[in-house]
Amino acid sequence: MSAILEIRNLTKRFQGLVAINNVNLALEHNEILGLIGPNGSGKTTLVSLVSGTLQPSEGSLLFEGASIQHVPAFRRAHLGIGRTFQIMRPFPGLSVLDNVAVGALFGTSGGHHRLRDAQEEAHRCLQFVGLNNRAAQRADALGGPDRKRLELAKALAMRPRLLLLDEVMAGLNHVEIEEVVGIIKKVRERGISILVIEHVMKAIKHLSDRLVVLNHGEKIAEGKPDDVLNDPQVVTAYLGRKRI
Amino acid sequence: MKLAQQLALAAIGVAALATVPWWGSAVLIQFGINALILATLAQSWNIIGGYTGYPSFGNSVFYGLGGYGTAIAMVQFHLPFAAGLALGAMLAVLFAFLLGLPVLRLRGHYFAIATLGLAEVMAAIVSNLEIAGRNVGLVLPLLKGDALFFELSLGLLALTTLVVAWISRSRFGFGLVAIRENEEAAAVMGINTTLYKVLAFALCSVFTALAGGIHTYWITYLDPDSAFDISLNVKMIIMAVFGGAGTVFGPVLGAFLLSAISEVLASRITSMASLFFGLVIVAAIVFMPRGFADLIRRFREVGWRYFQENVKAHRL
Repeated sequence: MSAILEIRNLTKRFQGLVAINNVNLALEHNEILGLIGPNGSGKTTLVSLVSGTLQPSEGSLLFEGASIQHVPAFRRAHLGIGRTFQIMRPFPGLSVLDNVAVGALFGTSGGHHRLRDAQEEAHRCLQFVGLNNRAAQRADALGGPDRKRLELAKALAMRPRLLLLDEVMAGLNHVEIEEVVGIIKKVRERGISILVIEHVMKAIKHLSDRLVVLNHGEKIAEGKPDDVLNDPQVVTAYLGRKRI
Repeated sequence: MKLAQQLALAAIGVAALATVPWWGSAVLIQFGINALILATLAQSWNIIGGYTGYPSFGNSVFYGLGGYGTAIAMVQFHLPFAAGLALGAMLAVLFAFLLGLPVLRLRGHYFAIATLGLAEVMAAIVSNLEIAGRNVGLVLPLLKGDALFFELSLGLLALTTLVVAWISRSRFGFGLVAIRENEEAAAVMGINTTLYKVLAFALCSVFTALAGGIHTYWITYLDPDSAFDISLNVKMIIMAVFGGAGTVFGPVLGAFLLSAISEVLASRITSMASLFFGLVIVAAIVFMPRGFADLIRRFREVGWRYFQENVKAHRL
């Protein structure tokens, strides 16, 4: 099995601050990789580097074996990289349906070219995330949990091969988390590889095949969820050192 | 109402307007030409300002280039009017591409301010060009035919509105609206934002330049100050926003209504006309900030509470 995404020696500096420091990472085909780390550890920066909204300072990115670090964001979307935003960014003035239709109109390999096809696809995606009854509403009329679903539906409508999920479960209750976990598992069954950033530890532990831990922009652990979460370095990063 | 029904209604309106030169007075026809030109300008601005969300103050440059293209072709090269229009439109599109690429990288206020300077620069350049008649300007051959100019302006407005109607239901238009709503998210979803913005700018420049060419031939004269007049750009924006920016018929409605209001005010209370015109606009912004099109759509559901809600939203 070859990697769908390979991150090699990736570094991102914002003036003096090193947000991502020499990170190496590989995401296998059809894998769910969980990316965790304390606040400010560089998780969202990493996703932005992969999706193309930020340019790396050093290192390289390979998508399906081809270098993409000089490819603009919109073309990465055409290649099959879809993402959601942690700070949700719907197109507020558009209806929920049309928000998703934008994903279907553009997205992977240029998307649908006819508006009607795109809207049909958007309906299917909304049904998939359970938001079909809100299709006609304006996106800015949605509440928090529904906005998370909308983000997910928009990314799915792009028909991505690699999906980057930036905290799609934050702020949801237990029942809603269960639902989203179910949706993500179903997405994987379609053959999509997924990188999940999450703070909800219990959910990500059950969801991920592997976990990677970032701290201060560096990768400090990688492996099976149970092993990683018991790694003393990881425990220290999250809880601080034990002082006796 | 569905877009198809609205377009059918608009077609009837166009047919009715087309008869005006047969029965209207000279004053009415001249008022009509001005209103139609202004509506075309507001509708063109709608493409870049309303749909793409880039509040351009550079549209008066397109207007001026359209006028100068027409005047230079007709006066200096003795070419027919159509060739002049084509030259003006080509100049405007060239300008839209050359300046759009750097200027459209700026957003919001920065974009507005950057484009604000363009008209001044163009006026200064043209004032020093022999071929454009320096700061004296150019006088075009006289063509007595207000009816012709009326029908031309009406045709151009209809064409511009059709293009905007297509934009509102097309993949291209969805791309523009996505850019307006959130440019970063639009790029991540696969929209070539730079290309789309420049195309929108160029499309808007074509219709603005054509309107400029028609108007210039009609009044048979232009100089740098009247061609690159920034207050004309302000008018386009006010009319488009008054009617409803980002809607298909809003800018046309806004241009017709405001033209009529300003005409009535100017004939009744000549000295205070612009003061009252200003009051009308302030009232419109307070009571219906999303424009006339939104008022029509929502008034039926909400009734008079519509105005109340808008005033409340302002206080917050």
